[in-house]
Amino acid sequence: MINASGAEDRPRAPFESLPLGVEGLRYVVRAGLRRPLLTAAGLALLLLILIAVLGPVFWSVSPNRINLLAALQAPSASHPMGTDEFGRDVFARFVRGAQISLAVGAIVIVIGAAWGGLVGLLAGVLGSWRDVLLMRTMDAILAFPPLILAMAVTVGLGTGIVTGALGITIASVPWYARVVRSEVVRVRNLPFVEAAVAAGASRQWILRWHILPAVLPTLVIQAAAAFGYSILALAALGFVGLGAQIPTPEWGAMITDGLQYTLTGQWWIDVFPGLGLLFAATAANVIADGFRDALDPRGEYARV
Amino acid sequence: MIRFIGSRVLSSLATVFGASIVAFVVLRLLPGDPVRLIVGRLASQQAANTMRQVLGLDQPVPVQYAHYLSSFFRGDWGFSYTVGEPVTTLIVSRLPASAELGLAAFLLAFGGAVVLAPLSIRLGWVDAVVRGLSFLGLGVPAFWLALLLLIVFSQQYHLFPGPEGRLSPETSAPPALTGFYTVDALVSGSFATLADTIRHLILPAVCLAFAPFAFLVRLLRSNLREVSREPFMTVVRSKGVSRWATLVRHALPNAFLPTLTAAGLVLAELLVGSVLIETVFDWPGVGALVVQSIERKDYVVVQAVILLSAVAYVVINLVVDVSYGIIDPRVRLGSSLK
Repeated sequence: MINASGAEDRPRAPFESLPLGVEGLRYVVRAGLRRPLLTAAGLALLLLILIAVLGPVFWSVSPNRINLLAALQAPSASHPMGTDEFGRDVFARFVRGAQISLAVGAIVIVIGAAWGGLVGLLAGVLGSWRDVLLMRTMDAILAFPPLILAMAVTVGLGTGIVTGALGITIASVPWYARVVRSEVVRVRNLPFVEAAVAAGASRQWILRWHILPAVLPTLVIQAAAAFGYSILALAALGFVGLGAQIPTPEWGAMITDGLQYTLTGQWWIDVFPGLGLLFAATAANVIADGFRDALDPRGEYARV
Repeated sequence: MIRFIGSRVLSSLATVFGASIVAFVVLRLLPGDPVRLIVGRLASQQAANTMRQVLGLDQPVPVQYAHYLSSFFRGDWGFSYTVGEPVTTLIVSRLPASAELGLAAFLLAFGGAVVLAPLSIRLGWVDAVVRGLSFLGLGVPAFWLALLLLIVFSQQYHLFPGPEGRLSPETSAPPALTGFYTVDALVSGSFATLADTIRHLILPAVCLAFAPFAFLVRLLRSNLREVSREPFMTVVRSKGVSRWATLVRHALPNAFLPTLTAAGLVLAELLVGSVLIETVFDWPGVGALVVQSIERKDYVVVQAVILLSAVAYVVINLVVDVSYGIIDPRVRLGSSLK
């Protein structure tokens, strides 16, 4: 479509009008200073990512190296987070745990959003009995408490991080599907879609230029909100012994490992992984809130 | 009205049906041969075959499913070979513990939200504190918080008991009436037991309530804000009602409704037992049962609990939906009238 000034005009995606380069940077910094909480959360998450990525580069102690002579040492210069009952350096295990949690969290939300978004899109676009069938399946999955469903999947398919992640993904898919479907249905009924159909637009065109741009912000918000939850869910699975298995230093599993020692005074084995989880999940939630404010000021979406 | 309730009930039944299929499919993926788990590795093939027939595992899958579904609704949830009890008895005996904990946590979360949301709208500093708490509540791992609270309050300051379950070892349970130790102790007049029960209930309930509280308080706060913008609020205020009264007596009841739906869901989740908190505090509830059963490879119990929690969730959802429809006529008459 061409507007009055002769330029191409089409529905714009979010953030499309942001300036690039130095202008963009100044915009981001000023926006950041206006929202100190969001900036703090962003920096915290960035710090965790840096630790996860650059940690092994600067800290060459192996997370699995056993040294019984140095067992259960309090935090010190040589072991910033102390050692556990086998003499393994807790900081190295913390770094590896950060890698696991952040990576798995990211994978879970991407796959979950892709699947859930697809189901929601199909349900909303195809309608009639396919819609009913798809959403009923989603309802059936939603009926289970997410943690119990994830536990059942790990029990059925074998314990481990991969099956744990799969279980969490399956439990999260209905949330995306629901939210995407309601957005698709809403957009489908708007006047400009009707106008597009009257003008002869194909289904693919409407999908690409009207439905998809409306659905993507929704999906991104939901995924961002689910990131924190996924990290905690994986840790919970590790805690009950169904996610990561020994000796994998996943944060939840580390907390279980250190349980008996924490209650007798060696607090560092449990407190640090827990702090890692706390910061990662809280920062993720604050950022997700920021996403929602930026992309959907109506604030319609319930926190997962 | 009847049509509304009827359609909701039908839709719930369909969901339960679907959930049972999901549970059946997931559990068919279980490793190991359940027959071998029962008869043991040394039993003869003939004994295994007989057991297979008894359990009905030689039937075609759809028949197995039909049998599974019908026996579930008849109340026959199988037999736990590791504990030596019918699963129904096992679950029913542990349900009150989880329900009591869940209810306590719900009261704390809901009560806290109802008290703090209006306050946070009127007082700026309360708002900041509540926002901070709500972010923390959704980000803190509940089991880790439980550990932290245990270390600080139980070990360091000896204010609360450690992870020893519902009662101190030397206290005996009150005569069983409802299974809720608080109620039973109150009814039988043993106030020492009541005090002991409450002392043991506080830490796990607080840990369990933190996340739902965060969720509910944010929801209620945003609902209150929305309602406050409506025209009728200006009318009430211009009649001379104080700011506090307009908030609590006019805005709050209207903001309640969407929050009630969410609260119902929260209650459903809490009642079936929080796996993590029960494990940390050694609470004899359904959640701990699931973990133990998984460790003991007693999948019959896991199967029953999974489906039970799904059914409970659907039923509570149904009740919440229907009551929402009863209270708010716009819901049951359809959105065209909004």
